[in-house]
Amino acid sequence: MYITQRLLLSLLLLAFATGTALAQYYSGDHTYDGEHQNEASASVITGKNIITGPSIGNTVHYKHYFNNHWSVDGGLNAQYTKQLYGFKAKGEYHFKVKSFHMFASAELLYNRYFKFKTNEIDGNISIRFERGYWDITLGESLINYTIGRSGYTELPTLTFGAHATLRHRTNPWNVGLLFRNYDDFYYENWNINWGVDYYYRFNPQWKMFGEFNIRPAGSMSQLASKYETTFKVGLIYRWE
Amino acid sequence: MKKSISYILMAAAMLAASGLFSSCEKVSPQGVLMGNTSVDDRVKQSMIYYAYHGEDLDWDLVDTIEEYSFLVGSDSHITYDPGRLSEMLQLGIEYGDLFFCHLGDLADTKPEYYYNTQIALYNAARTWRGKYIKPFINEYYTADDGMYYDKRITPSTKNYLKPWDLWELPFYPVVGNHDITHNGWSLFCDQFNTSFYEFTVKVGEFYDRFIFLDSANGTLGDFQTDEIDNNALQNDDKVIRNTFTFTHTNIFRPSMNEFASTYCREELYYLLNKLEEWNTTIAFWGHVHAWDDRMFNDVRHITMPSMNFVDHPNGGDDLIVRITVKKDGSCEMERVGLHCKEQSRKDLEAMGYLVKTK
Repeated sequence: MYITQRLLLSLLLLAFATGTALAQYYSGDHTYDGEHQNEASASVITGKNIITGPSIGNTVHYKHYFNNHWSVDGGLNAQYTKQLYGFKAKGEYHFKVKSFHMFASAELLYNRYFKFKTNEIDGNISIRFERGYWDITLGESLINYTIGRSGYTELPTLTFGAHATLRHRTNPWNVGLLFRNYDDFYYENWNINWGVDYYYRFNPQWKMFGEFNIRPAGSMSQLASKYETTFKVGLIYRWE
Repeated sequence: MKKSISYILMAAAMLAASGLFSSCEKVSPQGVLMGNTSVDDRVKQSMIYYAYHGEDLDWDLVDTIEEYSFLVGSDSHITYDPGRLSEMLQLGIEYGDLFFCHLGDLADTKPEYYYNTQIALYNAARTWRGKYIKPFINEYYTADDGMYYDKRITPSTKNYLKPWDLWELPFYPVVGNHDITHNGWSLFCDQFNTSFYEFTVKVGEFYDRFIFLDSANGTLGDFQTDEIDNNALQNDDKVIRNTFTFTHTNIFRPSMNEFASTYCREELYYLLNKLEEWNTTIAFWGHVHAWDDRMFNDVRHITMPSMNFVDHPNGGDDLIVRITVKKDGSCEMERVGLHCKEQSRKDLEAMGYLVKTK
């Protein structure tokens, strides 16, 4: 019964987010605000990509805490006009070193790019250092793709991300700046995702979040050029 | 304290972002992070050139050729001494290669480095014209009043043929990231006109197709991919036997010591699909200064080593490649060495090779 309620709630969230706003989902790296609570979220993403054109899609996410240290995270991504569909699973361990909150995680992500007949499997291990106003992520990703009869596993690539907020993370609303070479459903090599994100907490259970991203191509080696722009917005519901 | 760190991080991010999205002069954050021209602008400019000169690029008059070869080099990063490029061109002229391809990062950005590159190309062009054009004109044409008459046509008609010294060396480069920073594109296009083009070589009833893509920004960009999708370069009437593609930024990473590909995900998969769709025989890549040779869906991908003095001060036996296209359409690859040593700027100036600079 409890599970059914949660499932229904997740679907409602998805429907609500789809019908009301446009944005992209930012689930995995939400900051720790003093307590761990299970959460479900849904969001809508829209934008424009130079290869696939205007895009719109949905993501849903569920995060479950076993205790104050361990959590698992699952997500689905459906980008309809891009014909990109993916799902991922992530395990995370939270610990504290002095005043740092540390999050060690391992993730497995599968993407199907129908338009390009490509299957992609990404593995990632990362560690996130988190303080009240900022967090930094460092890790390694391994990306394998298969097109037709051939496949290629890229050599391990550095994963990096930095995020700073205007206010302390325990505040009911916040705005931040970020840059990173990954997002919830992709990992890149050098291409950096620049963005502004925000959240607004209605009450202890409900939170709205959103993000505006610019993803230039080749931005780390004198090579920046327009590639993709996205907006995302979504809702998170949390419970004990 | 905590707030200060946050503000510092935000300020750093904003500074970096402003570097990306604002226009600045030479030495600037923008110069570090991006070239002065966008790939879209370069391709638009190239398409105008291609519209008027595209057919001139084709080697469609060589009916008698059954087999031919061409040389491919990459990342010469010329500064003062263009010796390695000169050596490559000299080798090709002596061997009888039909043309030369270069995968970008021709010179290291400064204007005077481009002047040095031009000197190498002018000298090679003179040798090439001496070997091929002058004997051809002497044999088949007579000059009168500045016009050339084709001796093979009777009665003699005025067939305009450009003077022999205006025939250009068949050197086909693509633009690299070092070719576009600090106003490099204006120097590059002044000499080579275009960064996105193709030509064909006619062999009997078949054609071999050579496609040159602009990936100097680490991406093909919006306009170029649209043009590719619209078949802007293609001549559908031609029966294509082999397709060879040339571009600067690599897809495959030879080892952990080299840069990973900078193509974004969808673009990477788009490009690999497109190469397959073109039935590409060999796709050539540069940028990472390292050799890689692999098959991916029947397309052979060759990532080239650099040919510059910094990476190979003593030269090497395998810095460039020669592709020989046989009568039956099959291709053979041979790795070719370059061995000349770098000469100092002072020596080059003393030899009168370089224009003296302060």
